[in-house]
Amino acid sequence: MSHLELEIQSLYRQRPRNHFVIWSGALLLTLMISSWFIGDFHISDFLSERHLTNLSRFLGELVPHPMHDQPFSLTLTIGWVGELLWENGLAATGVTLAISVAAIVLAGSLGALFSLPAARNFMAPDPFVASLSESRQGWGLLWSAAMWGTRAFLIFARAIPEYLWAFLFLAILGPTAAPAVLALALHNLGILGKLGAEVVENTESSGLSALRGLGASRLQISLAGLFPLTFSRFLLFFFYRWETCVREATVLGMLGIVSLGYWIQDARARNHYDEMFFLVLLGAFLVLIGDLISALAREIVRRYS
Amino acid sequence: MFHLNGASVTYGSTVALDSINLQIRPGEAVGFVGLSGAGKTTLFRLLNGMVRPTRGTVQVNGNSLASLSLEELRQVRAQIGFVHQDLSLIPNLRVLHNVLAGRLGRLSLWQGARTLLFPPRSCVNEVYEILQRVGIPEKLYQRTDRLSGGQRQRVAIARALFQRPKGLLADEPVSSVDPARARSAVSLLTQISREEGLTLCVSLHNLELAREFFPRLVGLRKGRIAFDRATEEVKEEEFQSLYDLGAANGGGTSDREE
Amino acid sequence: MGGTSGADSIQPVSLRRGMGLRRILILIILGAGLWAFIQLNLTPADLIPNPGGLQVAGKFFSRALSPALTYEAEFVPANTQPLLWKAIQAAGTTVVFAAAAMSLALVAGLILGFLASTAWWVGDPAGGRSATVVFLRRSVAPIIYGSTRVLITLMRSVHELLWAVLLLAAFGLSHLSAAVAIAIPFGGTLAKIFAEMIDEAPRDVAEAYRGSGASSTQVYLLGLLPRALPDMIAYAFYRFECALRSSAILGFFGYPTLGFFIAASFENLHYGEVWTYLYTLFFLVTVVDWWSGALRKRFAV
Repeated sequence: MSHLELEIQSLYRQRPRNHFVIWSGALLLTLMISSWFIGDFHISDFLSERHLTNLSRFLGELVPHPMHDQPFSLTLTIGWVGELLWENGLAATGVTLAISVAAIVLAGSLGALFSLPAARNFMAPDPFVASLSESRQGWGLLWSAAMWGTRAFLIFARAIPEYLWAFLFLAILGPTAAPAVLALALHNLGILGKLGAEVVENTESSGLSALRGLGASRLQISLAGLFPLTFSRFLLFFFYRWETCVREATVLGMLGIVSLGYWIQDARARNHYDEMFFLVLLGAFLVLIGDLISALAREIVRRYS
Repeated sequence: MFHLNGASVTYGSTVALDSINLQIRPGEAVGFVGLSGAGKTTLFRLLNGMVRPTRGTVQVNGNSLASLSLEELRQVRAQIGFVHQDLSLIPNLRVLHNVLAGRLGRLSLWQGARTLLFPPRSCVNEVYEILQRVGIPEKLYQRTDRLSGGQRQRVAIARALFQRPKGLLADEPVSSVDPARARSAVSLLTQISREEGLTLCVSLHNLELAREFFPRLVGLRKGRIAFDRATEEVKEEEFQSLYDLGAANGGGTSDREE
Repeated sequence: MGGTSGADSIQPVSLRRGMGLRRILILIILGAGLWAFIQLNLTPADLIPNPGGLQVAGKFFSRALSPALTYEAEFVPANTQPLLWKAIQAAGTTVVFAAAAMSLALVAGLILGFLASTAWWVGDPAGGRSATVVFLRRSVAPIIYGSTRVLITLMRSVHELLWAVLLLAAFGLSHLSAAVAIAIPFGGTLAKIFAEMIDEAPRDVAEAYRGSGASSTQVYLLGLLPRALPDMIAYAFYRFECALRSSAILGFFGYPTLGFFIAASFENLHYGEVWTYLYTLFFLVTVVDWWSGALRKRFAV
């Protein structure tokens, strides 16, 4: 091998390798491929005779009830749709919407509050000032513990899915809309709190340390300095999470609370697959509207901030 | 090698270049000076075959660009190396892969992918040799975003050289680098072009560097050639006129075209 | 409002207006929240559990720090696996379902994301394409783009649990339907985000490659995609974390993931077991969250 190639080889051996990334990638790939073999998926079963007849029967039952043995009629369809909407559809949609709004407002206000004690620079003994020494250690430890406590709370709130929280709250609070609202609010509080904390930690701290230098308290710095700087970004997250709340609020009804999900589950239990399908579409429609409003709101925030 | 005759480039209602007459022989080193917006980048894009002239003719190595099909145009592009102002490197890739990408123009999709993913030894050797010439051979396997600005610039130059081009264009290679590095970058470009017999066109703001390294200077002003002659013969007022923002100029020499 | 009122008088007008706008916005949002609570007939009284609920709450939360390590039932069949092992198994099934769903969602997301982006429409700046290509690009491409966008929206608008219900009604309890139920909306979301990331990726490298003679396909695959890839991977990982949560919840519908065991133990009043499963889920999600954060740091560096 020539001298050149020897040099290249030694460089090759010394090359920086990101073992973590490589192993992570390999692990994920293995996981995704092997899952198909581990998970009892019975893919061939899926296309079996029995399944396909079931499927065609099901698709037939999606057709609205009045038209089962008759040719398509627009008036009948509209009548049927109207009936469904009047009975439960519209009310349930309203409830779903209200649940999502109540939850996100709760989560947003509390999340904004909680993001402060979860942010490192806010909780430092000398907030927003990069400290070189840990001289006031006793004091710092208390604040530090408070910060990690808040973080742990937010992480736990986030990690448990909304559906689970709702299930638990339902057992405790009974079948009002409260479990749904609280569950959604708690989960999103975890998310918005964390996002808010990240925003606070990533804010340009020069102005804020100046305020601190003037002797401002944490409250004063937050209101005068932090709030204007971070408001728009937090608002963007707020509307983005509202979209998700609309989706989840629809589904939480399946636990037995009166949102769209309840009626969907109810229709399925009665084997009225046509009603069920219609209500699912209604839910999708609500989600679409929510997405549009959220996109509009975020666009407005971006334009005017 | 480059022959422009009355070439104009118009974008909508904006005239980027107006009636350019220019001839560059193979192996020449030409410095282009002028303000940003004077048309230097557009001119380089013309020379590279990235843009067709709206009027007039542009001939690269005897081929008139206007009449070429896209395929043929790509072949022309592959013969010209371009070092961009912002370098246009992929940050998280290794230097080796960024340089290898220079030869995509000569390879089919399949070959190109294979060369980038599993580079054959001959290619790696070649890249190493080029990196030696630009002065950073030990960075062969380093991640590009770990390099300093000046080193990254050399990677960009190496990528252009890996094309085995006949001509080399460098758009403002010194704007974002400090003066000492700027000098060594331009010196490197001129030296390599001389050694390889490449035609070199470099656009610059810095008149001292331009005067020091290039025997021929072309001044651009508002899309037109303000002057085009040997460096010694360019007068001080002609340089100044380039940087005149719209004021009518006293001497008649500044707007003369060759 | 506390500290800022004194400073108001010396602030420039635009800043004052900005602050006024913010206050109005906050009032509107709080007002909407209040309206929602009223609509739902929710009073603070609803937040207080009735005596029965209070008992449940008491018993439940008191077990928070002492999760069960063995079964709480009086009678446990002889050959049942130990509780902790069952929890781990349930976690494993949850991961497997999520991974299978994500593999489908990634494929769908990449393909649909490509079709829903406009980056591949961009022609060569020097033109020179044959008339057929130009025609196709003007007529067929927008149709593909439009219909893909509609498809993605439809996929995304139905919650994965609702897809699960639909598939359940159609095919009965089948592991494949569980994976597909998650994969459909997740694939749609991935497609939308991927398309946005591809369209917003910097084009500098792509243009440079084009300038050295690369073909359009080379430019797209090797010059444009790599610029968007780090963000795409980070987002896909976040989706995987969400898939884990959704997979756990599918257990409520009968699938053998963590949700099933949580629901079962809760209904049997074995609150300690519930906490065991809850902590398992929490651990799972936290590990993935930490993993994704660590990857993102290595990628950015």
